[in-house]
Amino acid sequence: MVFNTPIFFVFFVVFLLIYGLLLVQKRPRLYFILVASLVFYGAWNYRFIPLLVGSSVIDYYLALAIAGAATVQRKKIYLALSVAMNLGVLGLFKYADFALESAASFLALFGIEATLPTLSWVLPVGISFYTFQSMSYTIDVYRGDMQPRRGLVHFTSALAFFPQLVAGPILRARQILPQFHELPVPTWEGARHGFLLFTSGIVKKTFADLLAAPAAVLFDAGGPVSLIEAWTGVLAFAGQIYGDFAGYTDMAIGAALIIGFRIPRNFNLPYFAVSPVDFWRRWHISLSTWLRDYLYISLGGRNQRLRNVMITMLLGGLWHGAAWTFVAWGFFHGIVITATHWLGSLRLFAGFAGSGSRVITTLKWAMTFYLVLVGWVLFRAHSIESAAGIVANLHTFSGLPEASVVDLRVAAVTVVALIYMHFQDWFVIARGERFEQKPWLFWPMLVLLQAICLLVGAPSSEFIYFQF
Amino acid sequence: MASNQRRIFLRIILAILVGMGVAMGLVRGFTEAMGANSQEILGRVLEGQHGLKRLLAEDDGDLVMVYGSSMADAGFGPREFDQHIRDLGGDVSTWNFGFGGLNPMFQEFLARRIVDDLNANDRRLKLLLIEFNPFQATKTRRNRAKAIEEPYMSLLLSGDEIADRILEDPASGLRIAEIRYLRDGASAEAITTYLLAEPFQEGAADPGIEEDEAVEARLDEVIDAYFPKYEAEFPEFADCDWCYDWKGGGPLRSERSDELIALMEEYYALVQADYKMQLDRLNRINTSGIIELDFDEDLVVAFIEMVNALKQIADNTEIILLPKNDDWIVNPPEALARLQRVLERIESETGVRVRNFQKIDAVTNDMFGDTTHLNGLDGLEAFTKFLADEYAHLLIDAPGDQSVLPN
Repeated sequence: MVFNTPIFFVFFVVFLLIYGLLLVQKRPRLYFILVASLVFYGAWNYRFIPLLVGSSVIDYYLALAIAGAATVQRKKIYLALSVAMNLGVLGLFKYADFALESAASFLALFGIEATLPTLSWVLPVGISFYTFQSMSYTIDVYRGDMQPRRGLVHFTSALAFFPQLVAGPILRARQILPQFHELPVPTWEGARHGFLLFTSGIVKKTFADLLAAPAAVLFDAGGPVSLIEAWTGVLAFAGQIYGDFAGYTDMAIGAALIIGFRIPRNFNLPYFAVSPVDFWRRWHISLSTWLRDYLYISLGGRNQRLRNVMITMLLGGLWHGAAWTFVAWGFFHGIVITATHWLGSLRLFAGFAGSGSRVITTLKWAMTFYLVLVGWVLFRAHSIESAAGIVANLHTFSGLPEASVVDLRVAAVTVVALIYMHFQDWFVIARGERFEQKPWLFWPMLVLLQAICLLVGAPSSEFIYFQF
Repeated sequence: MASNQRRIFLRIILAILVGMGVAMGLVRGFTEAMGANSQEILGRVLEGQHGLKRLLAEDDGDLVMVYGSSMADAGFGPREFDQHIRDLGGDVSTWNFGFGGLNPMFQEFLARRIVDDLNANDRRLKLLLIEFNPFQATKTRRNRAKAIEEPYMSLLLSGDEIADRILEDPASGLRIAEIRYLRDGASAEAITTYLLAEPFQEGAADPGIEEDEAVEARLDEVIDAYFPKYEAEFPEFADCDWCYDWKGGGPLRSERSDELIALMEEYYALVQADYKMQLDRLNRINTSGIIELDFDEDLVVAFIEMVNALKQIADNTEIILLPKNDDWIVNPPEALARLQRVLERIESETGVRVRNFQKIDAVTNDMFGDTTHLNGLDGLEAFTKFLADEYAHLLIDAPGDQSVLPN
């Protein structure tokens, strides 16, 4: 079930009718959230509901066991069980075939023809999100960062909470679990902001779907492309992935807010970043902070920074998908971040790194954006060879295309779409509250934007991050 | 406290319902203003469906139906057919149910409505000719039609079938219901594809075929002269795509003025210019895979199911292939072998005879209006007469003569 479809509209209205009008007591509401979330998840594939519920039940009891364990040794064993269970499930469903195929390719390098059996299992949607979310709970309890809270239904409901179940943000238990014990009632102001976010998300998703075509011209065509097609394609994909993922998250946060739950922001104008590190503070914030808190810091943080950054970014890349292109993407960002740290430590660049002048800030922004775009080539390309070819295309002047569906007009529209999405986000962050207080403008604008998206949006388009 | 909570939720629900209601109203207004509605999308089909109900009520003759694609629409004259049969001593009432843009899957949905209508009126067809159009059943064709599958289904499925689909696949069923009942067939994909995002759609690159400016200029003049003349001669038919009084066909040659015929002849001569035929052929390759004929399994199965449904309502059913312009459409041996296999499969799984009229002496390549469709004068007349001669024995009662192909 996708947010921008008629079926979600029906689902959400029915949910609100039952949750808000028929049920008043907290406990029936809590149970109802769980049931609705499982229906939402089951609409995609009900066979994976036991996996979701099972992970939740095991981590809930392991967290209690960790908190109640008499010795550190025992705590470690319970934590190891939790981590092994979560990573095991993830590995089995997401990475087993990739590992087996990679092993066969590796053996083939030595002339050994190995036909390894593959599982070819369907990847449960949202598995990367909810396993990380569940795992963070047991780690937090182990570290003493939070006390386990009693209430299996509360924990399962929080993990399965439908707005954020399939594509995040990856919530920490300490952010969401207390809300499920409290079961907040929405305020009209909160709901109004939820509507704004939901609409903002739909607009971005609509742009993302429109930008998919020029991106596909570059990445799926297979043939030679002109310089303008290459740049338009990369910019279009940058817009597509941002609109798609940030759009989904906005809708998730908006839907949650409409029913009274607060979910932290997952994007903060990422293409305005002025350094690679800054980019990761703004892009998929819940994943980057998860990797920082539970992986990078666990590895030792700044001690052996090079090694730790590279491991973190490589695994961050692999989190996105079982393919070497994602590994290469993570590796690329690891190198870029490490190089940024190193250059910043040199006296020659210290002034540049710390400068606040507009010219230097613009230069830093341009360099960062360029590196992010090169990274997206690795992310989207079908193979590393193909990515290398596209990167070469980006730097080879081949004139304007004589015959192509991608011309300067498409390039211009792509750039405008990219700028518009960021303008809209800036507006929601900086001016949203004032805008909401002008109902004569606020509601007509929301309805008009919804109408435009309904008119041109492709409601059947799935979200890119669902596959992760 | 509880009533306060309820009030907030009620306000939220009202905001959603009213907001979405107004948004949907705006969408409907936009689409209507742009002419994107069911009539614009499937006008001929909808008029044909309406016409079928009317003819079943009004026409009590022996019914003949030609059911197929735009090739049947362009290349078969029902009133000419009736005239030929009359000349041969028979008396039938023939209707053209050829519709452009419908692949076999869409044709199958439409066929269900035809079967429903005939059964509801307890009527049967004396002869049913179902056209198999090879390039409508290819993978290329299917892929090109993906964006319009749900809009077309929304217009071709019955209300009960949409309800069944909602139960089977709620996401798809609700989308179809929304497109049908709230958007009058104009889906977001259709709008995006045809109006707003055209430059973003992947298409064939410019093939580098140069246009002949003199031909284009003259063609514009002929078209500018033709349509006002046509509308002046047939004002009551100006607004119909499937005209009941013409039985789904067009005016007879004898009903047109000499001037109109001269304009038509010049039009057909101009559009047969070499570069225009090259462009049309490339378009067919890009949109239909007309040369390689790589068939789509689902479309072939849909065609078979359609024949099996339709043959129940006819005394005589045959599957026909319409003439092919082999000056321009030349299939390699592998494609012809694929076609042959598909035809044999259709025949074996339906029990209905397949007649391949792709190459017949009665029709020559200069009788086409483009690389695939017969022209509306010589081509239509020659092929219609050919069919009348070919099927007269099934339609003209002779003592003791019974159907050759009972189904």
